[in-house]
Amino acid sequence: MSERIVFTAFLKCLEDGPILFDGGMGSLLLAAGLESGAAPELWNVERPQTILQIHRDYLAAGARVITTNTFGGSPLKLAAHGLDKRCEELNFAAVGRAMAARLESGKQEAFIAGDIGPCGRFFPPLGDLDDKSLSDSVQAQVEIFAAAEVDLILIETMVDVQEAEITVRTARKLTDIPVVATMTFDRKPRGYFTIMGNTPRDAARKLADAGADIIGANCTLAPADMVELTGILVAESAVPVLIQPNAGQPELADGRIIYRVTPGEFAAEMRKIIIAGAAAVGGCCGTTPEHIHAVAESM
Amino acid sequence: MMNDFFGECREAVLKGDRAAAEMLARRALAENTDPLEAIENGYVPGLWEAGRLWDNGELFLPELVMAAEAMKTAAAILQPALSASGRRQKTQGRVVIGTIEGDIHDIGKTLVATILAANGFETHDLGADVPVHRFIEEAESFKADFICISALLTTTMAGQKRVIDLLNERSIRDKYRVLVGGAPCSDKWAAHIGADGYAGDAISAVKLAASFAA
Repeated sequence: MSERIVFTAFLKCLEDGPILFDGGMGSLLLAAGLESGAAPELWNVERPQTILQIHRDYLAAGARVITTNTFGGSPLKLAAHGLDKRCEELNFAAVGRAMAARLESGKQEAFIAGDIGPCGRFFPPLGDLDDKSLSDSVQAQVEIFAAAEVDLILIETMVDVQEAEITVRTARKLTDIPVVATMTFDRKPRGYFTIMGNTPRDAARKLADAGADIIGANCTLAPADMVELTGILVAESAVPVLIQPNAGQPELADGRIIYRVTPGEFAAEMRKIIIAGAAAVGGCCGTTPEHIHAVAESM
Repeated sequence: MMNDFFGECREAVLKGDRAAAEMLARRALAENTDPLEAIENGYVPGLWEAGRLWDNGELFLPELVMAAEAMKTAAAILQPALSASGRRQKTQGRVVIGTIEGDIHDIGKTLVATILAANGFETHDLGADVPVHRFIEEAESFKADFICISALLTTTMAGQKRVIDLLNERSIRDKYRVLVGGAPCSDKWAAHIGADGYAGDAISAVKLAASFAA
């Protein structure tokens, strides 16, 4: 346990009140000209200034946690682009961009979250993923994050609690860095479920048991649809809860993808989410430094 | 008697029981049950019920995929008898379907393809990560009525628009009904990019396509 103390700055910080994460990365990269379908992780080396600027903007907006551009950075996911051999290079570069932004901004109190998204494959009967392939893939990314000394690991947008559990367990086994794990729920007439049918209760318990220090929900839903979900997660969870909604559903206007929830509307709903008990908040697809700034102002 | 048999077919699909679906299809052949009736009155209603439960949040992706697989297994067994009898399921149209380039999400698209096929659409599944131009080339050579494009990521959905733009450039947009689907899409999105419609799941995709079919 003694080694753990080194990494508890982030967890201690939670005790002082809600902590603000950053917002969307992928949607900003698209707006900056990322080709639809291209691997966003390539920009960590090909367009480093763009990545750096996004991190700077989120720090300036008041985010206390910035998230590396590594959502699809696992070997399994990179393999879909034929980039699995560049896993180490792309993930290290991503952490480097975040650290450079923190240094330049002079916000040494900010935390860097190493981002891990779904591996893109499914367990039977939907696919042929197996535990070992998944944990090997997670291990590769976590080892890079540990070596690069990120402050926390953010496992997000999970739809299958089995994948989420193995990902958390693998990370927890390899490092003492705090692990945050969020899943993506849809709102059905009978309540909140992932597309695999996992409930918030299921997720909250299994992820905490697997070793997550924080659990929560992100993506798909607009903030107004996440207020009730927040209450459920808080009630079911033994650990603090992180909530990162989308700025609504993507729409196209004048050839550009837009999200209609304005920074002001976003901040108003995030207040309700904090009142419902979220210990940490941030944004997902479509949220921008302006959204995060509005939330920072209202906190 | 027949109703019980159809009921069993329906249950086999609804429960995603491939073995039972297969056994019932073989029994239909052995007992000279009309294969078309077995499909239309037995298996297909099972899929519709699965879709209804999905809408309600009582059944989820794994079960829905298993149901589609059971349906596919039975249809494969009944197909030769259908062709031999010279009877076909009434064709509702020809469909080229795939997941847009950069996107490897295959499941939802495959599910839609299977359920369209089960409902009488002749379906050509291009798989995932399909380049924009290939949708059009395949649609042309398949003489498709429908082009169905799936995108599961906000980072790939713009590809759906590029297919439509390219159809417009080649002045062949009017030859096809273009339907889009996938988690980040919506009716609004479909309208914005000039698609003919959006479906949020496999069952609505069939309803939507059928609404355009002659």
